[in-house]
Amino acid sequence: MKKSVVRKIVVAGVLSAVAAFLGLTRLGYIPWFSGASLTVMHVPAIVGAVLEGPIVGAVIGLVFGLTSLLQAAIAPTGPLDPAFVNPLISVLPRLLVGPAAFLAYAAFRGKLEIPALGLSGIVGSLVNTMLVVAALALFGFLTWDLFWPVVTANGLPEAGAAAIVNVAVVAAWKGVARRGGKASIAAEEDR
Amino acid sequence: MKDLEFFRNATLGQYVDSHSRVHALAPLTKYLGLFALAAPALASRPAYAALAVMALGLLVALAAKVRPAFLLRGLKPALPALALIMALQVLLSWPGDESAVLLRLGPIDVTLAELANSARIAARLAALMVTLGLFTATASESQIVHGIEDILSPLSRLGIPAHRLALVVGIAFRFIPILAGEAELIVKAQASRGADFGSGTRNPVRRVKAWLPVLVPLMLRALERSESLVEAMEARGYSGGLRSRLASYPVGSGEKALRAGLVLFAVVSVILVSRAPSPFGTWL
Repeated sequence: MKKSVVRKIVVAGVLSAVAAFLGLTRLGYIPWFSGASLTVMHVPAIVGAVLEGPIVGAVIGLVFGLTSLLQAAIAPTGPLDPAFVNPLISVLPRLLVGPAAFLAYAAFRGKLEIPALGLSGIVGSLVNTMLVVAALALFGFLTWDLFWPVVTANGLPEAGAAAIVNVAVVAAWKGVARRGGKASIAAEEDR
Repeated sequence: MKDLEFFRNATLGQYVDSHSRVHALAPLTKYLGLFALAAPALASRPAYAALAVMALGLLVALAAKVRPAFLLRGLKPALPALALIMALQVLLSWPGDESAVLLRLGPIDVTLAELANSARIAARLAALMVTLGLFTATASESQIVHGIEDILSPLSRLGIPAHRLALVVGIAFRFIPILAGEAELIVKAQASRGADFGSGTRNPVRRVKAWLPVLVPLMLRALERSESLVEAMEARGYSGGLRSRLASYPVGSGEKALRAGLVLFAVVSVILVSRAPSPFGTWL
């Protein structure tokens, strides 16, 4: 059965709000050893992609990217922030986070539900880090030799955090749904 | 405990109902106004240019019968973040900064450029928050969504469902204050159980561990709320199609002229503020 369009719209809106909220309050940034903050702002995009499909993930990624663009323009917090005013660095890579996470999840979902969720968290997060760092290098804000060190220092802990949150949120949410917590008119059509 | 109250003073996103001429404008005009003030605020180089934009925003607020004090109070919750940003400005050394060193504290140099940067960031942030606060005070939720629909409507000719995207943005706007309330509730509930939010620690691993128990319930609460919203929308017969509007926004010739004026103002003011002379020399 076709999934409810209304649910896609609402989940995209609400998870976009989570991403924007994390950015606005700076709750989504965690100071880290390497100097560049870790971010968990891309996690809503991953969760949205896993729950409602790649397009919803891309929309949430779009909002996340625009938030980071605005943030960099209004209140830069690090030497690299001016780079994020460029939408090719701040927005474009984030569009692909959700779809990548969805593909990783789709490949393994079903029997291996929990590992699939963890993997999609890791893949989505690494796509974010690698594409952003690659874009930074492409525009000359970083040199290419810094690519792997940054991906290791920031990308891996971010991927770990994303995997943990993704598994916790989606597994809990689907558990709730199975227990009948989901009381929607469209729930009948969904199944 | 004060840092647990994220949005008590938040005026951003609060609609102020009044019958001013600003309130009566069509949503698209309000967006143009937002753009006309936000663009120079973002482009401003010296701090005083951004403050001038803010003063202009406060004047418009007076015309809109929105108390300027209400908008300025909205800056309060941003102060801790602003302090952090300014501290980072001073602590980090910026490439290419050759301005005079004003103060030397061990390994930390306080340079003129760093101070000027901090002032610029503070002024820009204040100008932007006042502008955004003014926008949300004069544009109701449905007007915000209608405006986005109007802006995105050219996209629907390319086959992109603009009205759905507009609804996504509208829901996101509506949910940010709700999420702030939820986050506050979660943090307080966990702090009352003795949870440590790592405020006293510089250990990043502990800070990560402290925020995971906030992030996960926050996202689950968000999903629960979205479920009830889906239910409410479907119960009212919405299925993702075009929605008709109760309000209509007739645009007279005066408002058309105002729109053109706003666009012109945006262009001219961006050019002016980005070239405004800096009182601190040429490096700014």
